[in-house]
Amino acid sequence: MQETFWQKRLRDVAAVLVVGVFMFPLFWWALTSFKPTSAIFDKDEIIWFNFKPTLVNYAVTMLGKSRAELAIESGNTFGIGGASSYDSRQTIIDSLIIAIGATALTVLLAVIASYALSRMRFRGRQAYLNWILSQRFMPPIAIIVPVVFMFHYMSLLDTRLGLIIVDTLINLPIAVLLMKSFYDDVPVDVDEAAMIDGASRLQIFWRVVLPMVKGGVAATAVLCFIFSWTEFLLSLFLTNSIRTLPVKITTFVTSTGSEWGFIAALGTTAVIPSFIFILLVQKQLVRGLTLGSLKE
Amino acid sequence: MVSHQVPSLAVDVPVSDTTRRRVWPRFLTSEHPFPWLAPITALILAFGVYPLLYALWLSFFKRNPITRMNVFNPTWNWGKLIADERVWGAIGHTYLYTITALLIELCLGLAIALLLDSDRKGYGLLRALMTLPLVVPPAVTGMMFLLMLDGSFGVISTGLVSLGLWPPQHPILASGSTALAGVLLADIWQWTPFMVLIMLAGLRALPKEPFEAAAIDGATTSQAFFRLTLPMLSKIIALAVLIRGVDLFRIYDYVKVMTDSGPGTATETLTSYAGTIYFKNADFPYASTISLFTLLLVIVTSSIFIKLFKVRF
Repeated sequence: MQETFWQKRLRDVAAVLVVGVFMFPLFWWALTSFKPTSAIFDKDEIIWFNFKPTLVNYAVTMLGKSRAELAIESGNTFGIGGASSYDSRQTIIDSLIIAIGATALTVLLAVIASYALSRMRFRGRQAYLNWILSQRFMPPIAIIVPVVFMFHYMSLLDTRLGLIIVDTLINLPIAVLLMKSFYDDVPVDVDEAAMIDGASRLQIFWRVVLPMVKGGVAATAVLCFIFSWTEFLLSLFLTNSIRTLPVKITTFVTSTGSEWGFIAALGTTAVIPSFIFILLVQKQLVRGLTLGSLKE
Repeated sequence: MVSHQVPSLAVDVPVSDTTRRRVWPRFLTSEHPFPWLAPITALILAFGVYPLLYALWLSFFKRNPITRMNVFNPTWNWGKLIADERVWGAIGHTYLYTITALLIELCLGLAIALLLDSDRKGYGLLRALMTLPLVVPPAVTGMMFLLMLDGSFGVISTGLVSLGLWPPQHPILASGSTALAGVLLADIWQWTPFMVLIMLAGLRALPKEPFEAAAIDGATTSQAFFRLTLPMLSKIIALAVLIRGVDLFRIYDYVKVMTDSGPGTATETLTSYAGTIYFKNADFPYASTISLFTLLLVIVTSSIFIKLFKVRF
């Protein structure tokens, strides 16, 4: 069914419009982060762009300056006061450590386990795979209360290591099933040829098959990083002083009013690493989201 | 895709190097999967299965709020759960939320996938842009929509009011009748791209021949869609609905951030109710009971779905 010229143009316009609608909240969010506080709340300035862009929101959240300091510097005393608890540098560092730690641990464990699940034939293999899959469908809230108690006894509560462990637990099923699908793409003949040449399983794994699924390992790592980076519930329950970005942002909403400029600035910052990474693994995204069962 | 070239084995694997092979202990070089699977099994047993059993054990205790002691009383929490009207309200909200979101996201996702399924220039970029909402932290998405839906200075609310589409005295998130719709809006924005991506992958994998045959036979576009595209996509649709549905059922982030179950209990879902019991009442046994009950509903609902639509991974 060939499209006519006007059908093509109609599709172009509709496609751009739809994608535009989906991009609008991101655009608005980024725009808000450059607005002075007055422009966020002023009715006449909400929809239009008649405000003076400012970097105050980033200076407070990223450089740890207090708003009073900045106000005096610039001579604008609107909304002066407020503590400097909006400094989010430590939060960003903690978030990075947790996400990178959890990613490394997840990938390490998944790369090993899924090789066996892809290559070895043993009794209960399918049942084991189903068990892993079922872990993906378990709501984290079902285990969170006992995990708080356990972590309390193990002194893991409110530590980065504790969050790394639970993030790993949540990401493992996806990583294992995804890695298995990448191993399954490599023909078994490769292993068999190496085996005939006298290589052991470990040698085949490390020297032959693993180098062939490097791209898959990278995609798995990126997805794990994003899932840990965006995780909210576990961090909310398990930490108090160490905060990840998504939880830190919600603390800017207070009973005396929300600091929307700071929230938007920190939110924009939180989104950037995910965007950079996701563009790197566009091709493998579908496979990751469907736990390896759908390839593009 | 992984390239399928066969590596040059003679170079990579030293065959006659017997000294190197002796380094590894026997159980590491055998065919047994135990050493490969032991680490993840241990981790999942310790931090996944054990807490689940612990939660079950905990649900058999009654918490005394004054002495803060837990007393063994196996039927207390489960009886309380069944008699608790807020639980039934939360079940209703959870199912309403899950089903509405699934229907809208699926239909929108399929429509947008059909729209973006073109090889012309620029469509690759549009498809890439469409994936961006997926990786925004859900808590940030919640904040974004909280700002945009705010009754007095939100851009969506102000826009709707100034266009005369919405009464100004009726803030979306602060009214019991529309708060859930506001939360849904955030969910739909973030997760419709999930459906779009999966449907696009499905559409791209469809064989060309049936469509060419249909075109020769004079089928209209809508006939081709309903008789060919939809049936051939049904497996993928079922898979996408299952994965998304389970995630929707345990919705927590948006509700917590945007409305905190309110106003009143208008947007209270099962997980957010469990969170409230945990944080506000500190009744850990009852919070565990509600969480386990959520898990039970997830298992029952998804099992029925898997049986009904024969979903296969």
